[in-house]
Amino acid sequence: MQLYRERGAFEKEGAQLVLIGQATPRHAAHFRRRQGIDLTVLADEKRRSYKAAGAKVATLNELVGPKVMAKGLISSMRSRQPQGRTIGHPAQLGGTMIIGRDGSVAWSHMSEDASDNATPEEIVAALRGI
Amino acid sequence: MGIIGTAGERQHTHPPERADDLADMELPDQDGAEHRLGDYWKDAPAVLVWLRHYG
Repeated sequence: MQLYRERGAFEKEGAQLVLIGQATPRHAAHFRRRQGIDLTVLADEKRRSYKAAGAKVATLNELVGPKVMAKGLISSMRSRQPQGRTIGHPAQLGGTMIIGRDGSVAWSHMSEDASDNATPEEIVAALRGI
Repeated sequence: MGIIGTAGERQHTHPPERADDLADMELPDQDGAEHRLGDYWKDAPAVLVWLRHYG
């Protein structure tokens, strides 16, 4: 996954990357092995943190509409990794948030559709601005 | 609610200005060990990523 591969750029700006998924610890462990991730992956099966972060549930068009499918295909081709089986709520979207030491949300990018993800460059630029 | 749990109407994201509600949440990691989210930004900023799925 791209954000994991670029985590060094976040650490260079003094921030650590935290990954949260919407399934069980067992699923998180499988995800780590499959992706070759040596970072802690948190499991939020009930999606409580998704709700607290203001993430939304997609409409059908936001999940599998033509624009979303096209971007997903391009992303899979670039990463040379097909999307795996969906675990958890299939329409739950995610997002990215930078939280400062004082607990303020310094920056956020919550997904508007299934293809809408913050890029590492956007995150690094946001970190430099806080 | 639509098919496969999709929203019937377009929703809006609503990220909070502060992460106070998130701070005290505890989530298990891949080994089942509980982590308090607020500990991640106690000493330095944290980049939290909510994955759409473990795909």
